[in-house]
Amino acid sequence: MKISTLRTLVLLGGLCAGAAAAQAPQSPPVSAERIAAAQARIDEIRARARHLDAVNELRNLQAIYGYYFDKALWDEVVDLFTENGTMELGTNGVYVGKARIREYLYSLTGGKPGLRHGELNNHFQLSPVITVAPDGKTAKARWRALIQTGVYGEGSGGNWGAGTYENEYVREDGVWKISKLHFYTRFYAPYEGGWTRASPDSALRYGKSPVRPDRPPSVAYRPYPDPFVAPFHFDNPVTSGYVFGAGVVPPAGNVPRASGRDAPRATTVAELEAQVRALELEVERLQAVDEIEHLESAYGYYVDKSMQDAIAAMFTENATLEILGRGVFLGRDRIYEYMRRLGAPQEGALFNHMQLQPVVHVAPDGNTAQVRSRLFVMYGLLGRNAQWGEGVYENVFVKEHGVWKYKNLHGFQTYYTTYEDGWAKRASPMFSPFAGYPPDLPQSVDYDPYPAVFVPPFHYRHPVTGR
Amino acid sequence: MKPIMSRLIAAGACWAALCTWASVSAAPSPVITDNRVIPDERRMAVLEAKLASLRKQVSLLEDAKAIERLQQAYGYYLSAGLGNELAELFANDPTVSIEIGGRGVYVGKERIRAFLTREGEGLKPGELREAPMMQGVVHVAPDGKTAKGRWRVLMMAGMHGEDGRWIEGPYENEYVKEDGVWKFSKVHWYATVIGSYDEGWHRKPLPMPGPLEELPPDRPPSEQYQPYPAFYVPPFHYLHPVTRRPVAWE
Repeated sequence: MKISTLRTLVLLGGLCAGAAAAQAPQSPPVSAERIAAAQARIDEIRARARHLDAVNELRNLQAIYGYYFDKALWDEVVDLFTENGTMELGTNGVYVGKARIREYLYSLTGGKPGLRHGELNNHFQLSPVITVAPDGKTAKARWRALIQTGVYGEGSGGNWGAGTYENEYVREDGVWKISKLHFYTRFYAPYEGGWTRASPDSALRYGKSPVRPDRPPSVAYRPYPDPFVAPFHFDNPVTSGYVFGAGVVPPAGNVPRASGRDAPRATTVAELEAQVRALELEVERLQAVDEIEHLESAYGYYVDKSMQDAIAAMFTENATLEILGRGVFLGRDRIYEYMRRLGAPQEGALFNHMQLQPVVHVAPDGNTAQVRSRLFVMYGLLGRNAQWGEGVYENVFVKEHGVWKYKNLHGFQTYYTTYEDGWAKRASPMFSPFAGYPPDLPQSVDYDPYPAVFVPPFHYRHPVTGR
Repeated sequence: MKPIMSRLIAAGACWAALCTWASVSAAPSPVITDNRVIPDERRMAVLEAKLASLRKQVSLLEDAKAIERLQQAYGYYLSAGLGNELAELFANDPTVSIEIGGRGVYVGKERIRAFLTREGEGLKPGELREAPMMQGVVHVAPDGKTAKGRWRVLMMAGMHGEDGRWIEGPYENEYVKEDGVWKFSKVHWYATVIGSYDEGWHRKPLPMPGPLEELPPDRPPSEQYQPYPAFYVPPFHYLHPVTRRPVAWE
């Protein structure tokens, strides 16, 4: 009785209030000046966000180049270049245009793309310094390569190499491409003996080809042991007063949208709100890139020290983990047990697990992400054993209650080798499941590690061709 | 009677407004177009506050990028033996410091310069010290004035004709924005392993060099530890990224 009366009253009240509001005068409109000021602020923030995004895209591009180069996927490498792009590797000269670059790269692997059984061509892409022009149309970047090559069975164990890129990029129809790639060899030395024991001519072998270049080397230099330093495209960031994004201004006129159509200037608050919501998502996705990269890096530092609790806590409750040939483990608890099987840290043990070269793609909704990255292992047991190991991850991340976590971690084995030998002399067969700790599911992708040639599947399409 | 009635009506109005709000926010695209729910004036104020927040968030992302560039420049200058360029990367604040392995702490830009240029500027023929900076974890303080970063270096070093070196370990560095430009306030590198190339780190791990006799540091080493084969966890400047709690070796 009482309740129904109350309900009637409330309903009545609602009706009355609605009627009252309809009759009430509209709140005074927001002035056009205030809307224009907000639009200008949106334009400024959006331009700065796009500048940040360009840096992230260029970082992905060069990392992607490295993963293709690893496997001598030359057609894919060539398609990252502009039509008139140039390539210069080491002291071999300059190749101009896609056709010539293709011809040159093919010549490095016996006339056709791809590695043959027993060949290794690892080119880690590290340490970027990326400078995007304020207009967002061109860019320059300095990178490093850390190189491991070899032909399985060769006596020297393979080659170590290192050097510096100074590259240039242009944005064509919204897609970044390489317009100039220049790699300066620092050293290229047989595994046996390393850089300090190698002949000074050893580094001249890098990038050597019977295909004549179109132009001689653009810079005359000799690699190590000469103390040559590749010229820098950037000034000392402190003495030059470097500020990221300085000079970035929003494009005049209408705002270019990702779809290619222009978004008109807002004239109402609702139109501004729609733009702000889109901008919030854009910024959230930029933050995701940094947060996920930090998560991967932090993972590596914890694995270094066998901090099993800390590692397991980075995974979602129903995450999966698959490393080398050990099979698939389901759920955080099983992942924790997996990590414990790797043993506790101890004096005399070295367990470095470097996390390198991320290619990060955040989903449009900003809630999941896929990352290809590289593992480089430095293992040691005092007086007994040391190893180098290398592999590629394809990981999936998810944002749970605002925090990024590992959803799937999948590490593919390229090689593990004993320190005394080098990869080209001895490479470990696929790591098998732990004795007494079987996986929940068998290995999901069947492959053989080096010296076999295997290309871990890419989570992304080619950034230029879309294939 | 009348005041009670009007109070009930008012309550009903609030309830109706809440219902409208709830149904609006549950919609897939929560575009609020009804001027009667939130007046334009209020919506504009919210929007302007959001823009101020977004601007700050973008600034922090830009700060992280500038810091990354600073750290990479450090790696490239270190590889080239450019001690003066390295010293210029530090802030003018007199408390800035550098501590490399077991060498002790040098305080202030000029002492840092003396330390970094003690063997002259540039590389000697036959000298290698390739020092790629990798695996960064950078945290900028919410006010955008200071930051901390953990980085890894895997250094390939040596003199031509002699035994080479594999050197690895993390930095825990600090940064400060001085006159709008990011600079180092503290560089601290921890040696995890220094290994002979010829023998390998498992057969010939090398000790960490101590303070220089010819150029004594301003302060002794800030932490007591030894590199491999000893086990040491250089402290993390950050909490665990998921649990947000400190971590410890179990």
